[in-house]
Amino acid sequence: MRVIIAIIFAFFLSGCSRVELIEANSKTIHDHVSSFKGEKAVLLNVWSTWCVPCVEEFPMIVNLGKEFKDLKVVFVSADFDDHFDGVKKFLNKQNISGVSFMKNEKDQPFINGIHPEWSGSLPFTILFGKNSGTIVNFWEGQEPESKFRQAIHLALNE
Amino acid sequence: MKKILSILTGITFLIAGELEIGSTMPLMDHQLADISGKSMTLTDAKGDAGTLVIFSCNTCPWVLAWEDRYVTLAQEFIPKGIGLIAVNSNESQFESDDSMEEMIEHAQEMGYNFPYTQDPGSRLATAFGARKTPHIYLFDEKDKLVYRGAIDDNARKPRKVKHTFLADALNALLTGDKIDPVSTKALGCSIKFN
Repeated sequence: MRVIIAIIFAFFLSGCSRVELIEANSKTIHDHVSSFKGEKAVLLNVWSTWCVPCVEEFPMIVNLGKEFKDLKVVFVSADFDDHFDGVKKFLNKQNISGVSFMKNEKDQPFINGIHPEWSGSLPFTILFGKNSGTIVNFWEGQEPESKFRQAIHLALNE
Repeated sequence: MKKILSILTGITFLIAGELEIGSTMPLMDHQLADISGKSMTLTDAKGDAGTLVIFSCNTCPWVLAWEDRYVTLAQEFIPKGIGLIAVNSNESQFESDDSMEEMIEHAQEMGYNFPYTQDPGSRLATAFGARKTPHIYLFDEKDKLVYRGAIDDNARKPRKVKHTFLADALNALLTGDKIDPVSTKALGCSIKFN
């Protein structure tokens, strides 16, 4: 009986999982970003569960994604590859739904593939224009909400 | 208006530049607080054959994954004339995770066999254009930058390392061979400037 309850409970828990966490390289991630060209501006944020500033700014980014209907937020986890479940757990706790990415590429090609001017420091954020699909701003490290808002407005108008 | 926005965008694109290969070691007389209790400078840390500067800290997961290699590199290359110094530029955490007390404890636990110093004002990190930990800068005997970037290509799994970038650069420096590549990248934690 206990086993049956455990299976039902596990099934229920898996049904609660809202996020689809996909392991991907930088090219796949950019292809995903490009698919929104002409429809939505995109905020790409590379983060990690072990990066304190990443985790601190994460809920703010989630809220901005909810606030701007023409903005798509794409999160890319740069956690170590053995932390897949931990990343998924964090994303579900943050009520993230839909596709989210986790890096499955070596550091150097991943960093250069995401942006050649990125040093590899986390967090890393890029804004892509709604109509142009081109990069309108990017930065390394944690930044205040005002900087995000300014960049989002730029992206929505480009 | 669009022009103004473009200019503003251009300005925000500017991320402080990293020290270029061939540059002279900057701020060599900037006073650093070492875990030994003494003050020291990069000049004091210099080796006869070259100098390795590692921007590091106490808590970054990438530092924790890679720092065993700090110690083995020090064991191998300090006797060959390479000076090695670790620099903690996380000034906003000097009262907490990166306090001198925590640094001393961390260095003891990890068996650091080289100076581990605080960088007041994060001035060295700024001068180097270092933005993360760990971040490596290798200078030759004339204090010219010959390699910058990563230690190797696998932080968590030392046995699965395929490219020992830094060890290769050190060996090439000592034998007079060409260093290739001179610049690499790896993920790391942002330096916590004030």
